Order: sequence, then structure tokens, then C-alpha cells
Amino acid sequence: MGWLPWGSSDDKSAPKKTKDGAFEAPNKTNRTKCYEARDAFFECLDRNQILDSINSRAGQVATQQVCGPEDQVFEKSCAHSWVEYFKKQRVVNYQKEQMVKKIEAEGGNIQPPHLSTRS
Amino acid sequence: MLRHELKSIQACARPTYAASHAPNPTRLPRTFARGGSGQSQISQASSTRCRNAANSPPKSFGSARSFTSSTARSKMGSGKTVEEVRSRNRSGPFSLTSAVIFVAAGAGMYMYFTYEKERMYRKRIAEDTKGVGRPKVGGPFELVDQDGMPFTSEDMKGKYSLVYFGFSHCPDICPDELDKMAIMYDTVTKRCGKVLLPIMITCDPARDTPAVLKEYLKEFHPEFIGLTGDYEEIKKTCKEYRVYFSTPPNVKPGQDYLVDHSIYFYLMDPDGDFVEAIGRNFTAADAAQLIGDHITDWTGSLNKKDRWA
Repeated sequence: MGWLPWGSSDDKSAPKKTKDGAFEAPNKTNRTKCYEARDAFFECLDRNQILDSINSRAGQVATQQVCGPEDQVFEKSCAHSWVEYFKKQRVVNYQKEQMVKKIEAEGGNIQPPHLSTRS
Repeated sequence: MLRHELKSIQACARPTYAASHAPNPTRLPRTFARGGSGQSQISQASSTRCRNAANSPPKSFGSARSFTSSTARSKMGSGKTVEEVRSRNRSGPFSLTSAVIFVAAGAGMYMYFTYEKERMYRKRIAEDTKGVGRPKVGGPFELVDQDGMPFTSEDMKGKYSLVYFGFSHCPDICPDELDKMAIMYDTVTKRCGKVLLPIMITCDPARDTPAVLKEYLKEFHPEFIGLTGDYEEIKKTCKEYRVYFSTPPNVKPGQDYLVDHSIYFYLMDPDGDFVEAIGRNFTAADAAQLIGDHITDWTGSLNKKDRWA
């Protein structure tokens, strides 16, 4: 906690520099904090029946209306690229789930995919 | 006469059974020993072993018989009556002992062949990638480790290597996979000794300097080796390992971006040849089992020393 609530200079979550000048990667604590913020944000989306909070304008507006605070915590706890990644991943995971259900309902077999995935 | 002949034949035909299953030998009359020399002509029809026994003088029976270890047989077998022999013959060659031996031999053969089949399967996978006309995964590289020390593909020789491509700013998959890698490494080391190098090669050399990798990897396992290098060398290494590589060449310091990359563990043998790719569908335990099996199959030499020793 800094002296000023908007001050970020002594915020522990800000990336530190290593001795060779590069920014440190998020460590285990940072990652856990980010995952928790993400889960809280997704829970809010679930409660409000919002799937897509990033790809469509309508989704973005609806998200800001009902899950604004959670979204801010999420953005603050994770790198921006991670926030984008998780928001998009939520949509993709949902679609994948639906696809699996559909194929199973039709009695088909699913082979585990051997694809490169964004990580 | 007939009685003695039967006895000596039986003593030869079922030595094992007689030795272990005959009733208390002390209660039986010692007919065989007593009549020894007198019945030598009949006994000559039997096997050499029996003839020797029959020819021996009765006195020396217990002490001088160095040709066989079944001391008790001559004493016990001799006590059988015709009835006993007949009942033995009625029951035929089947007994509990032979049944147990049969089942045990069958189970043993089954286990052996199952083991061999699995071993041959692993061997095929391991050798499929050797030789001419095979897909080549892996190759020479010159990178630096997290301490800034040079590390080349030559440093991988003599040990198995588990190579993973990732980057430290990776949101969720790399940390999960590196956690799995730590379990795999510990399990394999416990089983086979220090013969596996756990290597993570970054796909994001712009951000992953040696110091960043050092900070990042020490949380997963102190033994992990993190490799980085300049953009071109990393790109070349990824290409050799057939890793999809999408890192932009010119990024500004502090820029926030993600990197697409393939997510496999590459198992390389002590010659530096590719053995098998382990995907995300493997649990850490399954992967450790597979790696340990491959290492056990290896017939060449393995370097069990510490890395810099």
C-alpha cells in the first residue's frame, strides 16, 4: 500500500527490473493474484449471463455496466496481454465445450487435438 | 524282487516329489538300504544314478554320497508299498506341485512377453527418429543459461534431456507445464539417478534475459536450466525443434505481448537424438513413467555426474 491510493511507484505488483535491465516475469504470487482476480471477474460475468466481454461492442458495454469494478481489479492484477488472453479464452473454451457436447450427443468420438495453442 | 525293482524305478522317476513329499522317513522300514548289494542286477536296468545308489555298500549310504544332494530319497523312497505306488500311478502326472509350476510358468511367460512387447514398442519409437530419411527434431545450438554461461547442444550429450519451449510472461499454460516438468524431473531422478536435464528454452529472448529466467525458474525447480540467446539463434533453435515461433523481432523494452508457441516436451537421448514428444494429454506421472522406461532401455553409457562436474 502506497501513501497515495493512486500511486503505483511502490505498488508490489508492478514489475521490477532485474540487474540486466529487463522486466521481471510475474512470479507465483503475482500469478495467483491474477488468477483470483480473473475468477472473480468471470463469476460476475456468469451471474449476469455474459459470455463475451471483449470481442463485441455490446459485450464490452454490458460488462462495464455490471462488472466494471471486477474488471478494473482484473486489469490491475494482471498484465494487459493476459487480460485480453483470458477474456478471449473464455469464449473459446465455451465454444469448445459446446462443440464437444454436440459431437457427443451425435454419438461421435473425440480425438484429443494435437495443435499448438496460444499460451 | 518285483517289489525292489518298482521301488528303485520310482526313486528315480520322481526324485523331487519323493524328496519333499514323502511321509516321515524315520517311520519307514529301510528295505532299500538293507537289500542294496543283493539287488544290483535288477537295479542296473534303471538309470545310472539309481544303479550307483543300489551298488553302494549299505554302510556308506549316509556319508559318502557326494553325487547327489537328495540324501533323504534313498531312505524314504524305499519305504513305499505297492499300494502306495499304485495310488500314485492312478492319480497320473497331475499334482498340486505341477499345477502350481504350470500356472507360475504361464504367468511368468505372459509378464515377460508383455514387458518385451512394451520395450520393443518404445525401442521402435526411439529408433524411428534415428538414421537416414527420418524426421529430424533438434539440432546444434549455442545459447546461454540463466547464469550467463554458454550452453550448447554438446552439453546435452551423455544425459537424457527434457526440452520445453516457453516464455516467462506466459499466462497459464507454461507455468502449469513447468510445474509438471518439476514433478517429472523429480520422479525420474528418483528412479534413474541424475541422468535427465530439465531444459526450458525461451521463445521470447527480448524479455527473457538470463536474470529474468533465473528469477522465474527458481520457483519451479532449482535444477531447471533456462536457455536464452539472441533473436536469430533462438529462432534457429525453434526451427530445429519444429517449434512454431511467432515472436516479433523488434519489441520495445517493457512492451506487453504474448508469444504463440508449440507446447510439447521433447525427450532427447544421450546422443542428442529426438526420442519422443510428450504433449499436454500426459499427466506428470505418466510422462515420468515413459521417460524412466526410455532411460532404462538405454544400453549406452549414461553420465550420472552433476552438470559441471
